[in-house]
Amino acid sequence: MPRADLITSIVLMAVGLGAAIQSWQMPRLQHLGVSIYSAPGVVPFLLGIVIAGLGLILLVRSVRAGGLALLRPARLRELPFAADGAWRFVLTAALTLGYATLLVGRLPFWAATAIFVTAFVFVFEWKAGIGAPKLARRAVAIVAFGLVVGVSVSVLFEDVFLVRLP
Amino acid sequence: MEGLGHVADALVRFAAPGPVFDVLWATLLGIAVGMLPGLTATLGIALLTTLTFTLPASQAILILICMYVGAIYGGSRSAILLNIPGTPANAASSLDGFPLARAGRAGKAMGIATAGSVAGSLIGMVFLALLAPVLAEFALRFGAFEFFWLAVFGIVISGQLTALDDPVKGWIAGFLGLLVAMVGQEGIHAHQRFTFGIPDLGGGLGLLPVLVGTFGFAEVLTVMKQPAYEAVRGASDSVIPRIREVARYWRTIMRSGVIGTFMGLIPGVGEDMGAWVSYAAARRRSKEKFGSGSLEGLISAETGNSAAVSGAIIPVLTLAVPGSAPAAVLLAAMFVHGIRPGPLIMIESPGFVFEVVVMVLFASIAVLILGILLARPMLKVLAVPREWLMPVIFVLCTIGAFAIAGRIFDIWVMLFFGVLGFILREMNYPMAPLVLGLVLGDILDKSLRRGLVLSEGSLEPFIFRPISAVLATATLVTILFSIPAVRRGLAGLFREKA
Repeated sequence: MPRADLITSIVLMAVGLGAAIQSWQMPRLQHLGVSIYSAPGVVPFLLGIVIAGLGLILLVRSVRAGGLALLRPARLRELPFAADGAWRFVLTAALTLGYATLLVGRLPFWAATAIFVTAFVFVFEWKAGIGAPKLARRAVAIVAFGLVVGVSVSVLFEDVFLVRLP
Repeated sequence: MEGLGHVADALVRFAAPGPVFDVLWATLLGIAVGMLPGLTATLGIALLTTLTFTLPASQAILILICMYVGAIYGGSRSAILLNIPGTPANAASSLDGFPLARAGRAGKAMGIATAGSVAGSLIGMVFLALLAPVLAEFALRFGAFEFFWLAVFGIVISGQLTALDDPVKGWIAGFLGLLVAMVGQEGIHAHQRFTFGIPDLGGGLGLLPVLVGTFGFAEVLTVMKQPAYEAVRGASDSVIPRIREVARYWRTIMRSGVIGTFMGLIPGVGEDMGAWVSYAAARRRSKEKFGSGSLEGLISAETGNSAAVSGAIIPVLTLAVPGSAPAAVLLAAMFVHGIRPGPLIMIESPGFVFEVVVMVLFASIAVLILGILLARPMLKVLAVPREWLMPVIFVLCTIGAFAIAGRIFDIWVMLFFGVLGFILREMNYPMAPLVLGLVLGDILDKSLRRGLVLSEGSLEPFIFRPISAVLATATLVTILFSIPAVRRGLAGLFREKA
């Protein structure tokens, strides 16, 4: 955690100072007779300073806890969580981001959803060494599940609850 | 007396077949959402807000409150049977619930949890009916100075109590939430802040897409990262709680109900702390051995978290400040439906507060009936493999982010905050202060600037007006007490005196 805290503290200080600088540069609208105290940048400036300050506290704490030593290249290769979990995370992130950014809005919603659900279940249910007949049966069940989810979610939202879909 | 009239009106209106049907399905869905690890009350309410936003306001809020009450109760099932709290509010319930299940008393544990939840909801409901009108009247004295301190105090106390081991992380989450709320057109001069030339950012970041991201997408990533949970343990004994057994704990129930309600009242703290503080208070006074299957421990936690639901709704209605993350979604849903919670609610729509009281009553009755009658069939929900459930949840998250404004941009917002929420959670940052910051950002911004204009830059009214002084002192004390050196110094001082 000291390593993660150290990196986070740097990001936080950058975000806080960046927000404070941007806020300082915001128009003060005095030419419109507006009070300086109601200038748009007042609150975000203060928030930026507070966030940078909290980032500094985190930085000092993580350095004291030995965070700097953990930034050596050899230690950086260590994964933040178990390798098995990392793979599942990467696959989930790729599938969900792919669905939301590449399929939704380009295909009819039911089709995009059916493809995504089928692909997701198949990827996580697939096991090496499974026999062809069993695999085929499993694949049919997963495709059917994907289609049922795609069609039923679309009908439920659009036709029953009159909600727009992407 | 006027309140009783409103309650009677609402009782008559909601006792019709249509609303009763809504109560039953929404509570049942809430229980299922709460039971499933990875699905929280916050996400359930956010997704149902999307589904119900074309319905009349009163029907939609009834459905959302049933989801809220049902989900907080439903989380006890997985806490008892899997040792995995279904929602963060049920973490304390697993300490004694799971040992009970392991000892073959899962049915009894579920029955006691149901009794505790219903009792907690009813105690919270009574406080809601009694306190909301009083607090709303008191809040009429709040001006810009007081609302500024209320927002600051909310962030500080929420950050402190939701990250007890490391309040700095809680405060960082809260202040990040406030900063995110600054994005878009500000409310006094209509100046666009932090939009970087992106037109979609002009309207600011919608609360629902952000919440669906931090509580939905982030949960999908978290659940899929973890190893699969074990098969569910069945219940062979009776799930119907014995009245005598529950009555034996009446003191614990009353105490936990009061503690839960008041923890719920504190901005951004909510149900999980309601459960933990009630559990800790019960442990101090009990003769039972907590942590190894104590019925008193389980009933205190479940009473505390359910009472906190009504507690968290009180500041939503009277101050437009949420007591918890699910209550923040409820607040957003009220705005979507044109209801204006805040100090004027008892003047503008006094009947609504009592409608909400009756909604909680109906949801509690539904929890009692469904929780006992469907205890065994509902266990099948826990058998759904996460590999089949999580893609469906993500599809619902996508719709939930999109549907209110109909913008693809909101799906991007959901994705961004999902990844951000996942990273922050991995590093032990609590999400509740972030959500509270998002909600309070606008209040803080307008109140500070209006206050400074009114006082012509003087900080005096911020410090010396009576309510401001109390809130400022409370904020300062909270910060000082979180500094280990100060705590140690004070402890030493008292030791010396003793």
